[in-house]
Amino acid sequence: MPIPAEWNLTGKAALITADSRGWTPYLAAALAEAGADVAIAGAEDSDMRDAAAAVEREGRRALAIPTDVTNAAQVGAAVDSVLSELGKIDILVNNARVEFGKPFLDVTEDEWQRVMQFNVRSVFNFCQAVGKHMLGQGRGRVINMNSGLALRGLWNSTAACASHGAVHQLTSALALEWARSNIRVCGIGAGWMTTDEPDPDAQPDLLDRYLPSRRRGHPKDLCGLLVYLASDADDFVTGQTVFIDGGALAHG
Amino acid sequence: MLEKLSLDGKSIVITGGGTGLGREMSLAMARAGADLAIASRRLGPIEEVADRVRELGRKAITVSTDVTDSSQVDSLIERSLAEFGKIDVLINNAGIVRGQGAIPLWDITDEDWRVGMDTNITGSLYCSRAVSRHMVDRGRGKIINVSSGFGLRGGRDNFMYTCAKGAVLQLTRTLATSLGRYGITSTCIVPGFIPTEGTREDRMNLPAGRFIPLGRVGDPPEIGATAVFLASDASDYMNGEMIHVDGGALAGGYAPTGYAPEIELVS
Repeated sequence: MPIPAEWNLTGKAALITADSRGWTPYLAAALAEAGADVAIAGAEDSDMRDAAAAVEREGRRALAIPTDVTNAAQVGAAVDSVLSELGKIDILVNNARVEFGKPFLDVTEDEWQRVMQFNVRSVFNFCQAVGKHMLGQGRGRVINMNSGLALRGLWNSTAACASHGAVHQLTSALALEWARSNIRVCGIGAGWMTTDEPDPDAQPDLLDRYLPSRRRGHPKDLCGLLVYLASDADDFVTGQTVFIDGGALAHG
Repeated sequence: MLEKLSLDGKSIVITGGGTGLGREMSLAMARAGADLAIASRRLGPIEEVADRVRELGRKAITVSTDVTDSSQVDSLIERSLAEFGKIDVLINNAGIVRGQGAIPLWDITDEDWRVGMDTNITGSLYCSRAVSRHMVDRGRGKIINVSSGFGLRGGRDNFMYTCAKGAVLQLTRTLATSLGRYGITSTCIVPGFIPTEGTREDRMNLPAGRFIPLGRVGDPPEIGATAVFLASDASDYMNGEMIHVDGGALAGGYAPTGYAPEIELVS
């Protein structure tokens, strides 16, 4: 089957952050299937171990590194151990994210902090720790997993929306700073998602019927875009969060 | 995963496929395995591209088409279907680059406006309309439009080009919301400054590169990869959305790069 060679990730090392949403195994497996070895950093009770198993099923090397992604010292140690085990990091995927819904006045200071720490501070931590290495090696790809909520509001979701907006702008600004150092910084903006396998017999609910593509997205739907942005296929794309949402934003 | 990025067995119609970025997209898609119907007003350039496509072992037909004439557009789709039996992807790439060049508002004739809008947006609607029935009947298909950074920002004295390219983004979104239910997706490529004339070395040293965060203009093959991704099964859930291929220009604005005012941290 004709596949242009530049899409292949063989020989590359990736680092992805894990959370409790269940996306990490799909994203990590896609990188592995395209040829990369993959390290996964996250909490012990996250989907990190499942992601490592998914990478190994693809016949690639997996490293699971228990890490509090909000803690800069732990992130620094995690990045050091990836570098000593895999020798380099070509691809960083900031995937870890937490969300909750609550009317604004009921949001506690701790809950606000938790969302900002987990969704934004973790990206800052990993971009700094991995960025030093990427600047040294003179190349790299950073992909920040994000959401349509970076661009629009949602009821009872002030903290989540604010955190996604912050990562969206961090993506734009960091892309400019590192553009001439051959590091590309992009985002993937997901739409309404589910980790349930599609059931062709299920009746589409109101949200499914509203979406132009008539279904929620699945993490598998994001994998092609992830490999495209992680590969050497396109060196002229940077600073953009590419939305892949079945037409949700187009609909408005 | 990588198999999903292959275009093996796909038949693709591309307008404006003989020169510039259209030529690059055609060749990249043929390398990824696609058979192509290549349309353009002039036959010379598309015949050269078709020969290259055949050298790559793929099928190619050339159809002389003025996309502003809907009867010619209908024949393009009919000929493509007669040749390949199906159309998986339509790429609406034909357009006049920057219209007729910069014209001050007070000097724009009715004819200037009509020609600029016809080529850059009306032609894309005609092609999408012509292929839509076939794609709806099959329950699948992809329509890829080509806009421009000028579809998202103003351009001095460039009324037809910026207005039409902005309309291309709205065409993309409305195709997505209208045809998504039939299994048809619509996406958009937003190229920044990717010149195709002259040698690569000359292009990489163009002064315009200083205004792009990457420090250089785009290299034509870089648009090919985007076309392959959007035409492939790997982008099936992408609908109504765009990819900027612009070296980061829209992320920071087309501005002197590296410019940052000194800001003191206030406590």
